[in-house]
Amino acid sequence: MEQTQDKRVIVTEDVTKVYEADGIPVNALNGVDLTINKGEFTALVGPSGSGKSTFLNIISGLDTPTDGKVFLSGKFLSELSSKELSDFRRDNIGFVFQAYNLLPVLTVEENVEYIMLLAGVPKSERQKRVTSMLNSVGLEGVEDRLPTQLSGGQQQRVAIARAMVSEPDIILADEPTANVDSKTGSDLLEMMSRLNAETGMTFIFSTHDPMVMESAHRLITLRDGKVETDEKK
Amino acid sequence: MILKIAFRNIFRQKRRSILTALAMIVGFSLSSFTIGLSDGAYSNIINMFTRNRLGHIQVHSTGYLDKPTIYNTISDYESIGETIQSNANVEAWTPRVYAGGLGSVNEKSMAIKVVGIDVVRENQATNFDKKVVEGKTLTETASHEAIIGIGLAKRLSATVGNKIAFFSQAADGSIANDEYTIIGTIESGDDATDRTTCYLHIDDAQDLFVLQGRVHEIVVIVSNMNSIAKTVSALENSFNDRDIDVSPWQVFAKSFYIAMQTDRKGDAISRFIIMFIVAIGVLNTVLMSVLERTREYGVLKAVGTKPSQIFGLVVSEVTIIALVSVCVGAIIGTVINYLFSVYGITYPTEITFGGMKMKTLYGAVTTASLVIPTITVMLSAILVSLFPAIKAARIIPAKAMRIH
Repeated sequence: MEQTQDKRVIVTEDVTKVYEADGIPVNALNGVDLTINKGEFTALVGPSGSGKSTFLNIISGLDTPTDGKVFLSGKFLSELSSKELSDFRRDNIGFVFQAYNLLPVLTVEENVEYIMLLAGVPKSERQKRVTSMLNSVGLEGVEDRLPTQLSGGQQQRVAIARAMVSEPDIILADEPTANVDSKTGSDLLEMMSRLNAETGMTFIFSTHDPMVMESAHRLITLRDGKVETDEKK
Repeated sequence: MILKIAFRNIFRQKRRSILTALAMIVGFSLSSFTIGLSDGAYSNIINMFTRNRLGHIQVHSTGYLDKPTIYNTISDYESIGETIQSNANVEAWTPRVYAGGLGSVNEKSMAIKVVGIDVVRENQATNFDKKVVEGKTLTETASHEAIIGIGLAKRLSATVGNKIAFFSQAADGSIANDEYTIIGTIESGDDATDRTTCYLHIDDAQDLFVLQGRVHEIVVIVSNMNSIAKTVSALENSFNDRDIDVSPWQVFAKSFYIAMQTDRKGDAISRFIIMFIVAIGVLNTVLMSVLERTREYGVLKAVGTKPSQIFGLVVSEVTIIALVSVCVGAIIGTVINYLFSVYGITYPTEITFGGMKMKTLYGAVTTASLVIPTITVMLSAILVSLFPAIKAARIIPAKAMRIH
């Protein structure tokens, strides 16, 4: 993929992923070709086992494809070493997980600050960005709390703040509303939609949630590891 | 931040951290105690062996140590003694005459070793008078008196007041023959010596063996055992132009020295076993901890933490616990070693080591009793953390985050 085609943040070419389950090969992805452009608010949908999470893992470099190519922000992921992949994820991808996955020993503020620390952002800049980000997600006043002292919705807000604070190119959200009630889910979705509009960051969700599907600008349906439909609204 | 996470992880799993620390503290304290006790015992034995008997340094005419004969003597021992005394490290020196012969008490006779001693100097150097267990010690002037080892007294069925007669050959080839009154028996701490040795005043011994003004050995006691090598070297320089050998105790008591070194190696093996058991325990808890936090390491890696930083996190956690354990262990180990250096362990019966008898084993607070366990605990903790740390650093995030 040419660097000049910078509108395309994610390009996958014939991506295949085969897992071994008790010695039996399982095709999780079966030749997926997709291009996702900068600023898109995309939902990956499909039944359980259709390959949504596997696809997210592969385009983020958390897992490797059995075959095919993945380009992210112009980089061919298979060429990166483990250390380069860590750096690349830190600088280019924000993650929001279904189970929040905050670091339990760090406070809200420290969880959000952590990625910037890894990136070597100066302290004053870190503090400025953390404050601003926590304000954006409506978490003023809980900076010093530990994740266990927060509700599910609040924890997911922290996760969103953590994902966005380093201003990555892409936010990958795996079932971000699955563990929260519908009101909180709706609030989170509205917030992410606003942040997408304000920052122009690319959001890709894997979801079963009709609310998310409704808010998405593009709906990609996966079935049996293949793209079944790809609709732009 | 990695250090901060490491610290907080330690407090998060308090029970596990305490258990890990306890294993290390017990390992440190046991190791420190075994070193302190063996150092104390060795120092005690060496002291008994050298300070109370053979001396820290011995001076002989060249070749005497290899082939002791009555003829190979030091002639002007008083002036040599003055040179020895002028060394600042020297606490005392004492001359000795050695000869063998036949000793008889009443109808019993046997081969004995005669040691002629300067009573005043011998008392200063080796506390000779304090080792007399029955009767009295030799008088300061020659009075045809003898002190015999308790073993020899038994073998000869001799008692205080008996006469002991000697038959031997004098240094001039004449027959050495005289009779002395046994005024006391002595227990030197070395059974073999006590079974064969008879002590005379040096003047009496020189008269008996026709060795006027000559001795076979000068025993030197230094004020600090650590200065033995330095003192030997200084004395060698002083006697550079003479046919005199200066030897430290490691040379003239070589077999005893080798026995001590071998025994120390045995101690090192027992320390290794202690630390090996501790290390296995620590490895188990660290592995469990890594296993439990697989998902967390996956998240850390997913958000951009480098494998080396995750490796550092696991090693840091173990290192912090090891550092705290070393501090606590050092306090406990020092207290235990101090108590044992004061009160010791008293055995119901005497034990023998290298021919030396002792009933109470004293410990010691030594640098080695702190430094060796510190290095061992830190190294073994870091070593056992390497495998779990590598395991954590190599985690595949997607796979790790699927673990609940």
